[in-house]
Amino acid sequence: MIITKSRRRLISASVRYVILTVWAVVAFFPIYWMVSTSFKPSTQWFSWPPVYFPDPPTLSNYMNVWLGTEEYDTAQYAISSQTPLISLWNSAVIAFSSTFLAVGFGSVLAYGVSRYRILSEVRMFQLLMLRMIPPIVVVAPLSLYYSALGLLDTRIGLIMVYFLTTLPYAVWMTKSFIDEVPREVEQAAEILGASRWRTVVEIVLPLIRSGLVATFLFILILTWSEYLLALIITKTQVSTLPIELSKYQGSTEGRVYGRQAALAVGITIPLMIVGLIIRKHLARGFSFGMVRR
Amino acid sequence: MAVGALSAHEVPLQAATRVQSRRRAVRRFKLSLLLPLILLFLFLLTPVLLLQLYFSFHQWTVYLGSWWDADFVGLDLFQEVLTDPRFGWAVVRSLAFATGSTLGCFVFGFLLAYLMYRPFRGQAVYYIIFILPMLTVPVVVAYTAEMMLYQSGPINALISAILGVDFKPAWLTNPDIALATVALLEIWNWTPFSFIILLAGLSAIPKEPIEAAEILGASKWRIFWEVQLPLLRPVILLALVLRFLEAMAEFPKTWALFQGGPGSATETLPVYIFMTTWQYFQISKGAAMSYIVMVMMIVIVLIAIHLLRREKHSLDKMYEVRKDAEG
Repeated sequence: MIITKSRRRLISASVRYVILTVWAVVAFFPIYWMVSTSFKPSTQWFSWPPVYFPDPPTLSNYMNVWLGTEEYDTAQYAISSQTPLISLWNSAVIAFSSTFLAVGFGSVLAYGVSRYRILSEVRMFQLLMLRMIPPIVVVAPLSLYYSALGLLDTRIGLIMVYFLTTLPYAVWMTKSFIDEVPREVEQAAEILGASRWRTVVEIVLPLIRSGLVATFLFILILTWSEYLLALIITKTQVSTLPIELSKYQGSTEGRVYGRQAALAVGITIPLMIVGLIIRKHLARGFSFGMVRR
Repeated sequence: MAVGALSAHEVPLQAATRVQSRRRAVRRFKLSLLLPLILLFLFLLTPVLLLQLYFSFHQWTVYLGSWWDADFVGLDLFQEVLTDPRFGWAVVRSLAFATGSTLGCFVFGFLLAYLMYRPFRGQAVYYIIFILPMLTVPVVVAYTAEMMLYQSGPINALISAILGVDFKPAWLTNPDIALATVALLEIWNWTPFSFIILLAGLSAIPKEPIEAAEILGASKWRIFWEVQLPLLRPVILLALVLRFLEAMAEFPKTWALFQGGPGSATETLPVYIFMTTWQYFQISKGAAMSYIVMVMMIVIVLIAIHLLRREKHSLDKMYEVRKDAEG
C-alpha cells in the first residue's frame, strides 16, 4: 500500500495529539485530585473505590483550615501555634520583600555588569554558585549565626537569606533585558547632564519595566515555595505556608487529606496565577543567555 | 611669552585631572553598584562559612555547653564522616536519584518540546497545562502524592483499570521503590523546566539551515541528528546541568514524604545532613559532612560552569558570524 504524503502527515499529527494528551492527563491529574479532594467530605478522602468527583462537594475543609469556623481536631491544631491566615501574611511579606530586594539590587548590579563590566563573565557564572550549591550545607551554621544575631524566627532573617539566594537569578534575568536597551539612550541622557544614578533609575529601569515585572514574578515563585531554609529559620513566631502545610504531617489522628488539600490549594493558586502571567518569560529566567532570539 | 608658556603647560594637566576625576567617579559609581553584593558576602555568607569551618574542626553538640569553647579535634570529624557507611550510601542514593530524575525530565521534556516547537492548533493550551506541575510548591507535590499513592489509592486503581491487571505497588512503604517514587515525583514536578528551555531552544534555531537541508532532500531523522541537535547542544547541556544540580539538593519532597524512611531507603545527602544536625544534634559531624558535600558540589559546579561557558562562547561566535553575514 502506498502511503500518501497527506496521509502520513495526518498520522503524524494524530500521534502528536495522542502523546501530548496523555502527558497533559499525567500533568493535570494530580492537580485535579488535590483540588477535588479539598471539596470532599471526610468519608471520601480515603475510600475504596476512590471517589473521583466530590459528592456532595463541601466547603467545610476550607472553612476549617483557613477560617477555623468549624470544629477543630484539637491535637492537630495544637502543633501549630498560628492560623494559616497569619502564615499567609508572613509568606506574602517575606516573599514580596525578599523578591523586591533581589530585583531592585539585582537590576542595578545587572546594569553595572552590562555597561561597566563590574563582574566579569566568570564572576557572573560564579555568582550562580549561590544558587547551585545545595542550601542544606550551610543551614546549621546559619541558624547558629542567626540565633547569635537574634534573627532566628524573624521575617528579616528569612528575607535576607532569600535575597542572597535569589540574587543570581535576578541579576542574570534583568541583565538579559538591559542588554537589549540601546546605549544611545544613556549617552543622550549623559549629554543632557543626568547623573549616572539618575540615568539608571529614571531612564534604563523604566525602559525594561515589563522585564522587571517578569523577573519579579519569576523570583516570587522561588521565594513563595521555598521550604528548607524556612524550616530551619522559622520556629514558632514566624512560619510560612509551606511550613504550615508540613505541620499536618505530624498529626497523630491519621490522615486529614481534605484539610491538607484545602491548604495546598490555597498555597498553589497564587503561584499558578503568577506563573501563567509570565509563562512567556519563564524560558528567559532559566536559560542564562543560552537561548537567543 | 611667560603667559603662553604657562598655559601651554597647564592645559594638558587640566585635561589629565579631568580624565582622572572622571575615572574616579566611574570607579565610585561601580563600587556603589557592587556594594549590596559585597555587604551580603561580608555579613551573611562569610560568617556562615567560617562558622561551618569552625565546627568541622571542633567537636560540639548542643549538649556540650557553649559552642565557642568546643574542643579542637583536627581532622577526626572528617575521618568519622568518610568512614561512615551511611554517608557513603547517601552519596550513592543522591547520585542515583539525581541522575535518574535528570534523565527522566530530559527525555520527557525533549519529547514534548520536539512535538510542540512548530505552531499547531491547541499549542497554547498544552503549553499552559504542561507548565502547571512546575508551579505547584514542592511540599504540596509531596502531600498530594501521599493522597494519591497509598496502596488502594486512585493511581493504582486507575492504572489497574487501564491495564486490566491488578497493579498494586506500595509506592510509599516498600523500601525498594521509595526512592524511585521520589524520583517519579521529581520528574513530574520538573519536566516542565526541561520542556520550557528545550522548547525555547528548538524555536530559536534559525530556519535557514533546516530549510536548506530539506531542499537537499535530507530526511527528518537526518535533519534532527545533524542540524538541530548540534545547534541545540548548549540548551541541552543547560537542561541537564541545572536539573542535576537541583536534584542533588532536593529536600522538600523527600523529607515531607519519607523523612529518610522506610528504613533508610530515601536517605539522600540533604536528608542525612538534616537528620545528623537536627535530629541527632551532631552539629560538628553535620558541619564536616556539609563541608565535604560542599567541596564535592563546588567541583561539580565548576566543571558545569566551564562547560556552560564554552558552549556560550561558541554560541556567541556563531551569532557574530551570522550578524556579519547579514550585515
